Amino acid sequence: MRRLVILILAFTAAWTAVASPARAEKLRVVTSTTDLKALTEAVTGDLAEVDAMARPNQNAHDLEVRPSLMIKVRRADALIVNGLELDGWADVVAQGANNANVIPGAAGRIDASRGLGVLEVPKTRVDRSMGDIHPQGNPHYTLDPGMAPAVTQNILEGLARLAPQHRAAFERNRQQFLGSLEEAMGRWSKTLEPSKGAAVVVSHAQWIYFLTRFGLQQVGTIEERPGIPPTANHLVKLIGLMKEDRAKVIVAEPWSDLKLIERVGQDAGAQVAVLASAVGAMKGTDTYLATIDFNVKTLAQALK
Amino acid sequence: MRDIIALALMLVLALLVGIPPARAQDADALRREMEQMRKQFEAMQEQYKKALDSMSERLERMEKRPEPSAAAPPAPATPAPAAPPTTEMVTQQRPPGSEPSPLDLIKPREPFALYERRGAGQLLFDMGVTGDFVGNLTQHNVQKNQGGSFPGLENLFFPREVEVSFFGQIDPYARAEVRFEAEQDSRSGGLNVNLAEANLTLMALPYGTQLKMGLMRNRFGYLNPIHAHDWPFVDNPNVLQQFFGTEGLVESGFEATWVPPLPFYLEVLGGVFNGVNDVAFGRGQISDPLATGRVRTFFDLEDWGAIQVGASVASGQTQQQRSSTIVGFDAKYKYTPPGWQHAAVSVLGEYLLSFRDVVAANLAGIDQTRQRDSQGFYVYGGIQPFAHGELSKWLLGFRYDRTQYPAAPGTEWAVQPFLTYYPSEFLRFRLGYKQTTRSQCCSYLEFQDNGGSAKQVSEYFLQATFIMGAHPAHPF
Repeated sequence: MRRLVILILAFTAAWTAVASPARAEKLRVVTSTTDLKALTEAVTGDLAEVDAMARPNQNAHDLEVRPSLMIKVRRADALIVNGLELDGWADVVAQGANNANVIPGAAGRIDASRGLGVLEVPKTRVDRSMGDIHPQGNPHYTLDPGMAPAVTQNILEGLARLAPQHRAAFERNRQQFLGSLEEAMGRWSKTLEPSKGAAVVVSHAQWIYFLTRFGLQQVGTIEERPGIPPTANHLVKLIGLMKEDRAKVIVAEPWSDLKLIERVGQDAGAQVAVLASAVGAMKGTDTYLATIDFNVKTLAQALK
Repeated sequence: MRDIIALALMLVLALLVGIPPARAQDADALRREMEQMRKQFEAMQEQYKKALDSMSERLERMEKRPEPSAAAPPAPATPAPAAPPTTEMVTQQRPPGSEPSPLDLIKPREPFALYERRGAGQLLFDMGVTGDFVGNLTQHNVQKNQGGSFPGLENLFFPREVEVSFFGQIDPYARAEVRFEAEQDSRSGGLNVNLAEANLTLMALPYGTQLKMGLMRNRFGYLNPIHAHDWPFVDNPNVLQQFFGTEGLVESGFEATWVPPLPFYLEVLGGVFNGVNDVAFGRGQISDPLATGRVRTFFDLEDWGAIQVGASVASGQTQQQRSSTIVGFDAKYKYTPPGWQHAAVSVLGEYLLSFRDVVAANLAGIDQTRQRDSQGFYVYGGIQPFAHGELSKWLLGFRYDRTQYPAAPGTEWAVQPFLTYYPSEFLRFRLGYKQTTRSQCCSYLEFQDNGGSAKQVSEYFLQATFIMGAHPAHPF
């Protein structure tokens, strides 16, 4: 009995020693996407180690829940999610990570979409016959640089809950980032000004925020319904529509079926613009500003 | 004096005559004033009520989705996604916020009425329905012997598992899942409805620990915790069917996990259960528990490939109160390049060893207890070579099974090629062929019952699976 008690005590002591290492100086933050990673880094600067779960050139809707993601989240102080059902898999990761800091309802769980003006919120009853539709609206708001102030504010508020001593530094970093963003925004608006009102077709319905911000019109999608590959009939109709609406550009993601999109583009007399669907998805898009810059320039070039 | 008295009387008289009208005037004025104040008060009350209602509503909205503090959202330039055809159900909707009547609640045509009326996201848990239907064709003698992969259901198309599941957070500290299953368990077509799982997980425990309690599919090996509709093949691998029975290891008890803060993923699990498995652990009481343990780890091998390996143990007593221990090892490899909706290559295998005390007659014909060791494994491989286009919806798979019987001499092995078609993420069809061969020495399994024989079994499978509503992301 005495041996058993000693054994239990030794095990508990060892467990505690292993399980509670000295708290790191820096906040450990995990985000679901690389966009959120970039925006979080804009807020935290050097005060946090930020890691993303989804890879840049990965479709964030269908992420495979790997235990290696769980180990990222295992020691995180905060988990920042996109919300609006883009990254529902993050819940499964958080469950498997056994980290009470980031479970739903915990202080370290930050939803970056809170309070945003969400587009494409269904006004009527929705079901899966409409494809992989998001009942809370289109979740791809990070592609719109105009959303960055609100998104970074959400991130700041969430992180300041965990590290109130860094609030002022976070705010300074954020203001500095917003200054650069504002400057770039003027440039981007100017670049796309001549194309205002132009009709554009997208591969997957994830560009509405970006297009709306710069006054472009989305007139169709390659996917017949979200997440469902197109039928030949749909493509024939789409090509007709593109000719009618004079849609000169198809916006595609790096992970989409580029061969098919190229064929549609040829038939419709349109160019294909492969944009960075997330920070890091294309060469030279390692930061948030560089990503938007790349997308604006590529689209403007295609629309010429 | 007389003057004084007269003056006093006049004063009293004046008072008596004069005061009443003055009082009446005051009272009227007061009444008017009071009425006015009452009206003002009511108006203010109304205003406050409105303001409070409005503030409560705003607060509620803010709690759910606070106003943006910085950016102005862009104005929508395009209409919302195409609306589905308006149905009678939609036009009959009550105004938002109104409580559904009991009649509404029991209306069979509106199963998700509560969700709809409360608004998206307001139902405090998720629910989903999955349906898994299997058809199998085999020889008549196998049917007579009930020796197919779905014993007693040979040459039938039947609901293998129709499941209604509810899952979500209970509070900030715990989540729960409850699943009801209906399945056909006999040729007569009778359905067996049962509580498949009902458990809660304490998620806010310290030091990377979690505690799950209730009725659950045990985390033994790779496949056992996964529901049949999510398996990468049609039927239960032979080794699992022989070692745990057709339902697998489903037990009531406690399961604790620990994910230590290491640079690589390691999950350590320990569990204590009643032991009600009718094949391996049927003791059925927590005082003589079925104890389980598992460790699993995971490695990213290259950019898009990864492997998970695990080892499990379950030790308890059989229905006959004899010792039974099963040890298992499992590995899963997946390679999913960017753009692939399904893994381009997946390989899965499990190897199980059983150590069970059995009673057998010795050479002298006397019953004696001795340990029987048996083993078995299966290996599955799946390939999906196309990222896009119509062909990307097809997946080719193959499984090889080989197992001994845990309580009797004998071996069986099987090969099974199959083809899977995914029209969408929520719908799947599968066609397969399975050839099973059993050794001649099946004294325990009696594969020649009912005048039939199941030593050579050829089976054709058809499987149709759907998912409606919420479904948690699939594990690796």
